[in-house]
Amino acid sequence: MSNATLTCEATLTGRQRVQRMFARQDHDRVPRHDTFWGETIERWQGEGLNGDARHVLEMLGSDFHQIAWCWPAPLAGRDQVIEVDAQTRIVRDGHGKLVRYWRDRSGTPEHLGFDCDSREKWQRIYKPALLDSGLQINPPAARRAERLGREKGKWCYMACVEPFEQTRAMMGDELTAIAMAEDPEWVADVAEAFTSEVMRNLDAVIAEGAWPDGLWCYGDMAYNHATFCSPKMYRELIWPQHRRLVQWAHAHDMKFIYHTDGNINAVIDLYLEAGFDCLQPLEAKADVDVRKLAPRYGDRLALFGNIDVMVMGSNDLEALEAEIAGKFQAGMATRGYAYHSDHSVPPTVSWATYQRLIELVDAYGRYD
Amino acid sequence: MRGTDTLDALTAAIEHGRRDEAVALMRAAVAAGEPPRKMLDALAAGMADVGRRFSNEQAFIPEVLTAARAMKRSMAVLEPVLVDAGIRPEFTAVIGTVQGDLHDIGKNLVAMMWKGSNYAVVDLGTNVSPETFIEAAGDYGADVIGLSSLMTTTLPAMQRTVRALRCAGLKARIIVGGAPVTSSFARRIGADGYAKDAAAVVRETRRLMPAG
Repeated sequence: MSNATLTCEATLTGRQRVQRMFARQDHDRVPRHDTFWGETIERWQGEGLNGDARHVLEMLGSDFHQIAWCWPAPLAGRDQVIEVDAQTRIVRDGHGKLVRYWRDRSGTPEHLGFDCDSREKWQRIYKPALLDSGLQINPPAARRAERLGREKGKWCYMACVEPFEQTRAMMGDELTAIAMAEDPEWVADVAEAFTSEVMRNLDAVIAEGAWPDGLWCYGDMAYNHATFCSPKMYRELIWPQHRRLVQWAHAHDMKFIYHTDGNINAVIDLYLEAGFDCLQPLEAKADVDVRKLAPRYGDRLALFGNIDVMVMGSNDLEALEAEIAGKFQAGMATRGYAYHSDHSVPPTVSWATYQRLIELVDAYGRYD
Repeated sequence: MRGTDTLDALTAAIEHGRRDEAVALMRAAVAAGEPPRKMLDALAAGMADVGRRFSNEQAFIPEVLTAARAMKRSMAVLEPVLVDAGIRPEFTAVIGTVQGDLHDIGKNLVAMMWKGSNYAVVDLGTNVSPETFIEAAGDYGADVIGLSSLMTTTLPAMQRTVRALRCAGLKARIIVGGAPVTSSFARRIGADGYAKDAAAVVRETRRLMPAG
């Protein structure tokens, strides 16, 4: 099977397709996008993939195109390499976090320590540094990327990191959680400051003349069984900043996609109240299921993903077909569904399996 | 305040993460000469209560962590009394995140829940090789070993670790958990137990070692 034979015919541009999905208007097929672990691409190259992740996305027929990535850090550009060994590299990053990265593979890095460990340090060092930091985005590059995306007919978006993720990146999971319970005003202040910085950076891209179609906001609010904090705590501390980001996006005629792993079933109503347009990637092993969500929320919330990487990784093609057929049917009934794996595609998935997946996405994802 | 009232209040203070109040109540209980075992049970009850609420999604990670902090501070007051009374931890547990995986919050929560149940906990950290698990389990005489994995990509490492622990002939029970882990996967790789969350791990430990 060659790469070329898998590329899907299109009757709409990617941009038109995604816009019609958001409007719940008829379109030719479900929009598509995906993400992959680095080792997955390496495995596939050994199994016959002629290219890299971008080539896989072209074969899939991805409709999405990122033009900018915004993750402002208080001490941007001041990363310090602390230690390097055969397997890992320890760095003090721009959030003041001591973090160990794998040198030869992808995967989530280990957080070894967080310098911003008190409200006093936040107010004395990190908040002033954040507010004084210059632009941490490149508006001319974003403008150029947008032109490229437009030429390809893609739905162009800016990506940013949302305030809960920013807070955890600077203070760590444990201190963030404890501070949410014991010093909520501190967490609210951190979330507000980071959100303002994100908006300042995004404004600079708009000022450059770019006019993307959406804002794709990244944050992991949940683990496999529940949200990290209660819905009430989320509503009080983080939700106001999510609503600010949504309002910013809508004021610029952009759709708002929210990325979170984990079981977010208990807060979807709050997401709707904030004005979210789309949820991604809908982690199946965290009991998030498009077959349950689409009938309840599909008219108001586009659903993007949910194809189980555990099923993909089994390389059981019959199970994969059942997974895609069932979930596509539920999602497509609302006209507000797009394909994505429910996480990043892991290296347990063979290249043959993923090629079959592309065929299945094409076969079951047509609206004719 | 009567002794039982103090201990009930201590349990409630732990459950709700009221650290200063818990420490004050523990000091009062020690000063009043409450039986050490009862004071220990009051702490464990507080952690068990917050664990139950965590499993039922009535409490979340912030509530569990503040409860664990209150328990830890109170335990520091109680520990000399336990030593004097000859009360030792019920079990010894060795825990770690399997090789190739650098996540730790789930593992840390499990360690806290075990400590709150009067288990001695040896935390090996993250990216732990099968050999390190075997060595630590032998050195510390582990009764139970907890293996954590957050990524689908490190599930094979969990399987290798269980196999290596079995081959080493260790008597310790093995409990596995983490986001991609299921009960069927746990059975398939030969683990003794599976816990879907940090609170469930205490129940699973008791199920596996009821005489403890």
